[in-house]
Amino acid sequence: MIELITANLIWILAIVIGGTLISQSVHFIPVGGAPAAMSQATGIGTGTVMLAAGAGIAGIIAAGTVMAVNQNLPLVIAAGAVGSMVMLAATMIVATWIYVYGVGVIPVSAKVKYDPITKYRQDLYVSQGTEGHGIPTVCFVSATIGAALGGLGGALVYYALMKVSTLPVTDLNLSAVVSTFTIGFFFINSVIPSYNIGGTIEGFHDPKFKKWPKAALASFIASIFCAIVAVVAVGSLGGGL
Amino acid sequence: MEPLISMGVLALIGAAATIAGASEDLESDVGSQSNANSQIQLAPQMGYIHRYYNKAIAGEPVSNGMMCTIGATGTLVLIKHFGMSPLFALVIGALIAAMVHGSYSVTAIMGREASQKRFKQPIYLDLIRSHTPVIMAFAFLTTFTVEIVSYLMVYALAHPFPFVLLSFLLGVVVGSVGSATGDVHLGSERQFQQTEFGSGLNASNSGNIVRKGESGLRNGIDNLWFCSKFGGPMTGVAFGMVVFLGIWILIVFDPARGLKEGWLSNILGFLIVVVLGIWNWHIEKEAREKFGPYKEDKTEEVSA
Amino acid sequence: MSDAKNKYPPNTMLALGVVGGLVGIYLAYFLAPINHVFVFFGALGAICASVWGADVVRRVASYGLGTGVPSIGMLALGMGVIATLFGLSIGGVAGPIIAFITACVIGAIIGILANKIIGMGIPIMERATTEIAGAGTLLILGFSIVIAGSLDYVLVVKDVIATGFIMMIYIAGGMAMLHPFNSNLGPDEMQDRSLSLAIEKAGIAMVLSGFASVAGLGAIAVTMLIGIFIWYKGFNKYYSFVKRDAYKVLDTGMLPTEEEMQ
Repeated sequence: MIELITANLIWILAIVIGGTLISQSVHFIPVGGAPAAMSQATGIGTGTVMLAAGAGIAGIIAAGTVMAVNQNLPLVIAAGAVGSMVMLAATMIVATWIYVYGVGVIPVSAKVKYDPITKYRQDLYVSQGTEGHGIPTVCFVSATIGAALGGLGGALVYYALMKVSTLPVTDLNLSAVVSTFTIGFFFINSVIPSYNIGGTIEGFHDPKFKKWPKAALASFIASIFCAIVAVVAVGSLGGGL
Repeated sequence: MEPLISMGVLALIGAAATIAGASEDLESDVGSQSNANSQIQLAPQMGYIHRYYNKAIAGEPVSNGMMCTIGATGTLVLIKHFGMSPLFALVIGALIAAMVHGSYSVTAIMGREASQKRFKQPIYLDLIRSHTPVIMAFAFLTTFTVEIVSYLMVYALAHPFPFVLLSFLLGVVVGSVGSATGDVHLGSERQFQQTEFGSGLNASNSGNIVRKGESGLRNGIDNLWFCSKFGGPMTGVAFGMVVFLGIWILIVFDPARGLKEGWLSNILGFLIVVVLGIWNWHIEKEAREKFGPYKEDKTEEVSA
Repeated sequence: MSDAKNKYPPNTMLALGVVGGLVGIYLAYFLAPINHVFVFFGALGAICASVWGADVVRRVASYGLGTGVPSIGMLALGMGVIATLFGLSIGGVAGPIIAFITACVIGAIIGILANKIIGMGIPIMERATTEIAGAGTLLILGFSIVIAGSLDYVLVVKDVIATGFIMMIYIAGGMAMLHPFNSNLGPDEMQDRSLSLAIEKAGIAMVLSGFASVAGLGAIAVTMLIGIFIWYKGFNKYYSFVKRDAYKVLDTGMLPTEEEMQ
């Protein structure tokens, strides 16, 4: 068991970095929770954990597809990032259609007076009694960054665990074990930052965003233990202890 | 696999995914699950007793993930252990998932309303009898179509993940997408139809959901009718786009053919994201111009 | 929550979960080579673990986690999956115990991180995450032995992980832990009603894992039948509690009138 750990230190580090990236990604994705679905808050109307998980999962699926045919590290993790970004972008554009044409509200944030990217005035367009609604451009950009980080992190974890084993990459038992681990790992690293955020966040322009170091540290430590455990379990698949 | 055949498989996957998205959203609209449910939960507390189906099953991503996983489990067992043809196994697996989902729905409404005893919210058994089969039917559709997507991805497009795991993942994604898109139509628009069109929910209106409909007391099936005009199909388009575009970029530029192709597919995906971002900005700009602000700018008037 | 609503103290539930879970798993482990039918003990152990887990979720969620009940269920099972695979890969008779202890350690670490670094400030958080990780692991082990027929790592990988049934255990077991409290959320929630629902949901998971079992037709039939029986009894108990607790259970009716609402 100890030999497995020492032989794979670089991959353990990769998994820990991946976990921390996943945890950071959750802070970028604008989540309004239940109020957003009632057009009472800016952001996407889902829970933090589940939206981050949804985006990251799309990335992991894409990374899995690419890794099965091409094991170039930058390519695989970029494919993960792109997969997540496409998922979140498609979701957000349809959400905007519903907010603007179905509900009749304007995408604005109530946390800033001027949108940092488009410099549009925000507060005049917030309907009364709400904290903003829809997905203004700054939230879209923040979400794209978040999805990219989440997809990157998830793909990195997947790649690292696949490389730990001596079995060939096309072995279906291996990809099954590794993908199961990656999903469990992903959920753990999505829940920790969601506790940090405590409900809703609008993206990098939100004051709550400044809390990100706490989640990074917590995820880093938690990921170390999970990574060691994962490496032993995956490494024992091919050759034995 | 031959690229043109892959595109044919992709077309089938895209169609199945679109139906999955639509039925997922409609299923959550009948039972008012997830986000909009917070208002249904709040209403009795504020004194607004209702006749809605308070289906609170842990949020749509988890609930849809569960249905699709159970469906895929049933399907795989029937194919592998009982030697059934996939065409039948997919249907029976989805049926098993729908039945399990029905049991979760019934226990949810009974539990939530029993825990609201002090607010005098009764449990209407006829609601349970009339809505649960509708919920189960949509759950069947969602599970069946998501199973088709993951089955084709694993057995036709050679995805490395196991079939049941991929069904779980796609179930979580369809739940996320539905929760983010279609639920807004129910939560902001239909649930508060008595307020004027064109604004978000004022905090002072919280809990004041529509309970009396066009003729008679409104229930989940009335909401289903309304949301099937816009919210449901849009969610279908959203999930269809997610699945179709995500796989399309990998078929058009297949990473198996080399590093250059792989990077071209990433660039294409990024371009799609940029185009959607520009479209979002354009809608935002157009909405600001057409709808106009809610308030006057007081500081400008003072300085003028 | 008033104490009158909590009939079963936390330590009783912990004992039920740990002892019931481990006894069930090891009974299945030692008896399965004799006759594969005995794998159903693993499912019974998993049911004890899910009732324990549901009670922990109940206790910790009432403090207000800020993200909703489902997230802690997903966290628990995530830790459970990782710890189970680790424990089984070490192998041998002690595999389940190693998995359980690893899960508790990871759970404790995450609880400490949540309280000390993130600053959640929930008094019972460390104990809750430890317990819930342990419950998740016992649940996964119990249902895995039903499906695979044994806890040999190679067999578990082939029959439970490579097929993807692990995700079915993950989600059906996770829902058995988080759905009871989530679906009974409200000021008049009662412990016995929530836990009876945990038994019913775990019964469904037992039926599903019995269906997926490779341990032979006898094991499939016995596990599914016992699972359906447990589901049926659980549902009836739950419904009787609902009728006991609800304001009114009406066949049909209009909204209450003004006088009735006073």
